[in-house]
Amino acid sequence: MNVGTAHSEVNPNTRVMNSRGMWLSYILGIGLLHVILLSIPFASVPVVWTLTNLIHNLCMYLLLHTVKGTPFETPDQGKARLLTHWEQMDYGVQFTASRKFLTITPIVLVHICSAITRPVLVFEEESSPKRSSRGIRDIWGGTRTRRNVAKERQDGCVCFGFAGSSMSFMTAALPGTAAR
Amino acid sequence: MTESPATKPADGDVCQRVKNGLNLEKNGVLKSLHRCHEQQPKHHCQPEEEEVHAASHHDSQYNRPFLESFEETPMLVAVLTYMGYGILTIFGYLRDFLRHWKIERCHIAREKEEQRDFVPLYQDFENFYTRNLYMRIRDNWNRPICSVPGAKVDLMERTSRDYNWTFEYTGRVVLDVINLGSYNYLGFAENTGPCADSAAEITMKYGVGVASTRQEIGNLDRHEELEKLVAKFLGVESAMVFGMGFATNSMNIPALTGKGCLILSDELNHASLVLGARLSGSTIRVFKHNNMQSLEKLLRDAIVHGQPRTHRPWKKILIVVEGIYSMEGSIVRLPEVIDLKKRYRAYLYLDEAHSIGALGSRGRGVVDYFGLDPCDVDVLMGTFTKSFGAAGGYIAGKWELIEYLRSHSHSAVYATSMSPPVVEQIITSMKCIMGEDGTTIGCDRVRKLAENTVYFRRRLREMGFIIYGNEDSPVVPMMLYMPAKIGAFGREMLKRNIGVVVVGFPATPIIESRARFCISAAHTKEMLDRALSVISEVGDLLQLKYSRRRIQPSLSLPCDDIVFEDIDD
Repeated sequence: MNVGTAHSEVNPNTRVMNSRGMWLSYILGIGLLHVILLSIPFASVPVVWTLTNLIHNLCMYLLLHTVKGTPFETPDQGKARLLTHWEQMDYGVQFTASRKFLTITPIVLVHICSAITRPVLVFEEESSPKRSSRGIRDIWGGTRTRRNVAKERQDGCVCFGFAGSSMSFMTAALPGTAAR
Repeated sequence: MTESPATKPADGDVCQRVKNGLNLEKNGVLKSLHRCHEQQPKHHCQPEEEEVHAASHHDSQYNRPFLESFEETPMLVAVLTYMGYGILTIFGYLRDFLRHWKIERCHIAREKEEQRDFVPLYQDFENFYTRNLYMRIRDNWNRPICSVPGAKVDLMERTSRDYNWTFEYTGRVVLDVINLGSYNYLGFAENTGPCADSAAEITMKYGVGVASTRQEIGNLDRHEELEKLVAKFLGVESAMVFGMGFATNSMNIPALTGKGCLILSDELNHASLVLGARLSGSTIRVFKHNNMQSLEKLLRDAIVHGQPRTHRPWKKILIVVEGIYSMEGSIVRLPEVIDLKKRYRAYLYLDEAHSIGALGSRGRGVVDYFGLDPCDVDVLMGTFTKSFGAAGGYIAGKWELIEYLRSHSHSAVYATSMSPPVVEQIITSMKCIMGEDGTTIGCDRVRKLAENTVYFRRRLREMGFIIYGNEDSPVVPMMLYMPAKIGAFGREMLKRNIGVVVVGFPATPIIESRARFCISAAHTKEMLDRALSVISEVGDLLQLKYSRRRIQPSLSLPCDDIVFEDIDD
């Protein structure tokens, strides 16, 4: 379809993320992935959220930051062949709406993930003798007794996934390095 | 055919009265025009729609309502379209994987085994789209025809046993396919009649080709006559013709501008204009499609700040626009562009490839459509491919400009001049349109095209399809959106004996794939009715009737009627 048609838009890939309904489709896609993973019978909800987070980050990393070039020929004589999709977006202009949206989504996702799986962060004083016997409040409002701590540590390790957070920070930090 | 009441006079007269009405009482009639433009949409438009029409203080420049609409994509359709492309991409990767591991036979060009260590000749990823999307529906394009592509055309039937990688001809011919794809606006694509006869006669006398450039021995007396005729047709001082329409743009813009000049070109300009602008070496700035605020802002910035680093004033500012944009079906806002050009002292280059012969009460193009003076446009460019049934292009304007181009244009110096039968075809068809051959065929055809356009667009809108563009443009893009529907629409229409052109990504934005109909004066009402009923049937089958607004047949009257009443007050 590209052959013989005349267009002044050199690289249509630059406009894809700005088109109507793309952001909504992206969110719905994450939702669909989550629902599919939820149907795995032996996975608990925190594990499913973790998997959603990880698979989403992996897919986005591959699609936006690994695959280079365009799936069609462009009339720019190959300038876009060395650029990943992230670099091609909006012709390299930084901090456009789409870039901000795609930066924020993995961060939001990892926060939701953490919220579901009760992380190990606490803000309360541990040294007070009155508190220590009853349990420690964590920032999400629950109390942590010795029994829960062991269970949470198990979940927390899986979820607060070093991998997950590092992925999200990588995708968020790459804009700085990929500026051209 | 048109739903005009019996009392309404012909188009020209109404426009005159409107113009006079505006001169008499600017504020009163302006308000009523403004109101009439606002009333009509409020009755049957959804808020999320983009209905663009001539509003605000520019009403006085338009002698008829400027109705363009680009209805927004429904959100569900957009999401499903992305899903469609996503599924196609996943399957594309799967098939590539199978081909790589030799599970599936690979049909595309590959390098030889011996050359494996060389620098790669083919970039695999760049072919991804062609291999996995285009090849699946390739039978909708490049269909071989075996008759003249007039209102009806004969196609060679072909089948494919390996999913469109190779085609075989069954030997049968599909006869009388209604042709909605050719740019045959005035119906001059015919092989009988006065044009064909005179072209045949001239071929006997002058030969088939000229084999030389204009500046050497390729300048025939027929060329000179054609140029005088073109200048007379357009109402300008002088014109020059070239053998190729694309080359007219790409070779002449470099002769007009150079380094230190600024070209302001529309977002959706044709590749020939873009190529010409790039070859010239000028700075190019792009303004939003048909958006006069964007253009004015660019003009003001350019004049205030000058050239990028030195801040010297620009040597020349050239605004490049087209008459009709064939992908969108929109018409340029010429009165406003000319107003801006005069105010900021820029030059205007108008490419009338699709609008010459197709617009205007006398067929003289977009300048005639708006009732403006052709001397206001500095460079008038057009092609003879669409409305005249020939090939080639022209540039027209002041005498000094054309004389300059005769010696400085690349086409004039290096390219072969137009061949004699083509010249004769243009001369005969142009005389026909102007009425100089003694008949009224040309005049009738121009009027028939306008009627066909209005009728076709109105009926499609009533059926509920989303149509882009201006109400008067003979190019009718109908939105399909989803990639699967592109192939399905083309094939279903062909099954029912109608030939259409479908376009998809990357020639259009990713979600806006469309079928583009080109109305011709050669289409009779029966053909159009048949086409419309088939389109409606296929539209129901494929669920293409996306439009959220429903027009009642009675309300689809153009604004002229309402304005008429106001003036009577």
